Amino acid sequence: MEKIDKIVFGDNQFFGINHMSQEKAQQLSEQFFDIKNIYRVYDIAIENGIEAIMLNSNQRASEICEYFKQNKSKYGDLNWYPSIPYPHKYANMVAEKGIFPAISEVLFSNNTAGGVLGMLAKGGTALISKDTIKMMQMLVDVEVKMFKGLKINTIFLQNVITDLLLGYGIKEIFEEYCEYIRKKYHVSPGLITLNLPYCLEKLKEWNIKDVVVCSSINKIGFTMSPSTLAYEEVILNNDSSVYQLMAMSTLASGAIPPKEAYDYINEQNIQSVVFGASSEKHIAETIELIKL
Amino acid sequence: MVKIRIGIIGMGRMGITHFSIINTHQQAEIVSVADTSKTTLDILKKFIPSIQIFKDFHELIDISKPDAIIVCTPSNLHYPVIKYAFKNGVHVFCEKPFTANKLEAQELANLYSNSSLVNQVGFANRYSDVFNTAKSIMDQGVIGDIIRFKSEMFSCSITKKTNGDGWRDKKENGGGAVFEMASHLIDLNNYLFGISNGVTGTILNSVYSKNVEDIVSTTLLYKNGLSGTMYVNWSDESYRKPMIIIEAFGDKGKIIADFYGYKVFLKEENKELKLRKGWSVFTLPNVNKPVPFYVRGNEFTRQLYHFVDMIGNKDVKSVCDFNDASKTQVIIDDIFVDAEQNKI
Repeated sequence: MEKIDKIVFGDNQFFGINHMSQEKAQQLSEQFFDIKNIYRVYDIAIENGIEAIMLNSNQRASEICEYFKQNKSKYGDLNWYPSIPYPHKYANMVAEKGIFPAISEVLFSNNTAGGVLGMLAKGGTALISKDTIKMMQMLVDVEVKMFKGLKINTIFLQNVITDLLLGYGIKEIFEEYCEYIRKKYHVSPGLITLNLPYCLEKLKEWNIKDVVVCSSINKIGFTMSPSTLAYEEVILNNDSSVYQLMAMSTLASGAIPPKEAYDYINEQNIQSVVFGASSEKHIAETIELIKL
Repeated sequence: MVKIRIGIIGMGRMGITHFSIINTHQQAEIVSVADTSKTTLDILKKFIPSIQIFKDFHELIDISKPDAIIVCTPSNLHYPVIKYAFKNGVHVFCEKPFTANKLEAQELANLYSNSSLVNQVGFANRYSDVFNTAKSIMDQGVIGDIIRFKSEMFSCSITKKTNGDGWRDKKENGGGAVFEMASHLIDLNNYLFGISNGVTGTILNSVYSKNVEDIVSTTLLYKNGLSGTMYVNWSDESYRKPMIIIEAFGDKGKIIADFYGYKVFLKEENKELKLRKGWSVFTLPNVNKPVPFYVRGNEFTRQLYHFVDMIGNKDVKSVCDFNDASKTQVIIDDIFVDAEQNKI
């Protein structure tokens, strides 16, 4: 299994995603309204030693991907960690139309009536699980398309989707997802989850190996279900040659001072940290503090 | 351990979420699902063969004989589903809004409150870490007697002109910003400030929807002199995700709470709760308590786990039963009546 980068630069700050306050989120969204300001922060990050980027496949991501492809000579070979999909794109459609018509609209935007339902009905119930897997693969392709041409290390499934699917406990979906990512894209499959202990337990139970698992990991247990203690135990006992672990939300949305946060992270059996920041001071300070 | 056997009726967005959450509860077992989409049912059956699937909710109750059902159909169907469940002695968790009108809501509330059956409505904000902390601060009198409050809710749910065909664009199906969104805020206000006794000055606006309102504003009145305003807009694209903001003003200070956290302004220091004079700010990580399994928000897990826990243990008290929801329904009806009167 390909080693993941120890430090990965995240993207929440660029898209007005902040769990601290509405004002902060709004301020970030204003700051990065002009995409040039996003590129400027990437430049700063790269000057400070960043070699890896995580990017969610939202509306603005394709423009960012395009920019990096066109400026390959400037940026060299960065390692990319796409996370797919952008769940809010689907959320309203699912509420409005139901799950399959919504998926259909994404896959066949010009043909809302036939599409997925037609495809699923055609095979009849005998083929329905095969067809569902095929549909999942098509959705993956739609989301990953924008990253084509960039050097990808791991393709992550975004946490809303991972956790929703984990609850259903269907082995085949995870097995097929991981297999597809490996075979079609020749990169590592990744799962982002806010239920790390549950996720690792299921992966082991299903004998699905060589997966990168990214999860909130921080000293105060913010978005760590079921508990900090359960996290510490599975992290300590984790075999990183089978499941490489990447920590996100290490500062718990700013609730923990950086020094204190990374003193904790550095002691854990974690292979990588993904963090987002928008000022040179914070970027440099974080890179300095992470010692995995 | 005998598991609580659960049936889910309606596999739309909430049904899909509830399935995932409750499937992780050690004491619960999903035995059956009903939906009008054959594709959804076939796929579920294929991947989870132990599940019984039905196109009709009567059959789900008759044949799979669940101990409890989770109702996630459009809200005009809640009444017949729940009446049938009651006849068969089934515990019910029902998504919000509760029913299509107050008479149905009150009838169901009366039926269930005179029985030992567990009954709950999915007003999930009653399970939010932030709003519960804010409630506890207000209940302890920290900001004194509350005189006014302001409540707001925003989302970017409807951002395109509709043709009027979808269920969201039909009031009788539980569509529209009052039923679908404002019901959350009405219920949260009931929970935080008590049940209001009337509404005034209601205005409903359409932005994109053909048949229903996209913006609601009203003033909630209380016999004890308290009053508060409510403003709900589900066509506001400046909000990436749904947001609720509550601001309460009392004679000793004020509190502002939203999904990100809360802040308190006090005229004098409160030593007991370590709140200083002036502003004290608490962000979500300061108040967030983890749940056993997280999908889409702590409050969703907490409310469903609580439902199962109530069935398993009669001593667990309800937080949002049919009675609570029927009080919210009364205010929903009042809002429509008041809006009609305010047309000029």
